[in-house]
Amino acid sequence: MDEISLIQSAQKGDLDSFNTLILHYQDSVFNTAVRILGDDDLAEDAAQEAFISAFRSISTFRGGSFKAWIMRTVTNACYDELRRQKRRPTTALEPETSDGEEMDSPKWMADPSMTPAEKSEADELEHAIQHCLEALPTDFRTVVVLADIQGMDYSEVAIISNVPLGTIKSRLARARLRLRECLRGFEELLPASFRLEGESIL
Amino acid sequence: MKNFHEIELLSSYLDGQLNITEAARLEARLVSDPELASVLNDLRTTRNILRKLPARKAPRNFTLTRKMVGLKPPLPRSYPIFRFSTAFATILLVLTFAANSILPRISFGAAAPAMASEYGTGGGGGCEEPCGEAFGLATEAPAATEAPAATEAPAATEAPVPQITLQATSEESLREGELPADSLQAPKEGESTTADEPGSNTIIPIAWQIGLLVIIALSGLMMWAMRRSASRKWQ
Repeated sequence: MDEISLIQSAQKGDLDSFNTLILHYQDSVFNTAVRILGDDDLAEDAAQEAFISAFRSISTFRGGSFKAWIMRTVTNACYDELRRQKRRPTTALEPETSDGEEMDSPKWMADPSMTPAEKSEADELEHAIQHCLEALPTDFRTVVVLADIQGMDYSEVAIISNVPLGTIKSRLARARLRLRECLRGFEELLPASFRLEGESIL
Repeated sequence: MKNFHEIELLSSYLDGQLNITEAARLEARLVSDPELASVLNDLRTTRNILRKLPARKAPRNFTLTRKMVGLKPPLPRSYPIFRFSTAFATILLVLTFAANSILPRISFGAAAPAMASEYGTGGGGGCEEPCGEAFGLATEAPAATEAPAATEAPAATEAPVPQITLQATSEESLREGELPADSLQAPKEGESTTADEPGSNTIIPIAWQIGLLVIIALSGLMMWAMRRSASRKWQ
């Protein structure tokens, strides 16, 4: 069954059709959520909330890109989660080793306050990038996640973010600029082909 | 060092978002300005790093259950009919109870104390409808035109009518002497016959109320059966 038929069935209340759509988009949705929120558990909750909310409001879908529509829902769910976190800030407890000592996670190692020696221990590029993403303002992070990580085009990102195309261009440029500066601090983690050349741009 | 406008142009150029003229102009500048070319290269590298970021797979399926979205089983088309009939019958039943308990008091409650005080018999509670009829019987000759009016519209006209007839009968009784005794006996007979009938004060017959109760019970039962059958089929 094609996507349009599935959407139409879901709009009539057919949950099975909607679940087929979920199976198709759940990886993208979860990936977006985890890159925006930076936490697997929160991303899982946001993704689930997004799908529930999407099913309840699927009658409002009036055509166009369903992926953009579902991404907008998950983006909103992530914003809600971030707002909730701001209201009730929590400090995550680091997992402990079998010896009862705190386990050093790469994310913590990538903290700006860490020493060069600790930095060298952060050998996961992914965590370094995630750290840099989390350092971005939420609006910038969302745009860069959608455009560069999810590979969506500007117009889709504009629909999802509900801002004009010009704003998307501007946010994306600023986000890339900040990421470039941030990744410069993890130069040693980057493969040789990804080494950044220039000095400070601005 | 480049200003932000140039960075924005480079970022848009990277994604192919510039028109042909803008792109050509920027390309010409890139050839002549190595610093600008270096910035473009950095932005491209940053974008490529992000694109190379491994895609995270969903740790589990996010498929929804009916409970999660609060879906209820689809009910048969006839279900609303039963729901409407139950609601309508319930409203009617309540109205019949209200009518039977309130209306008799409104119609006859005002007339009884006045009649009781005029008679001086003190039987206020039992002197409702029968008393009115009794006055009509007692004053056949003088108040022949007024008594029927009292029975036709009891609430509005009954209170003054007995006073008039009572005055008439008391004057005649002074002259004739025998009539009041008859007039007092007649209501007693009337009272005994009407008060003995069960539900004589009810406006809406009890049979109707029972009928409504049966409709409510049957409709409710049908709704319950339909819901149960629908949820079984759904599961």
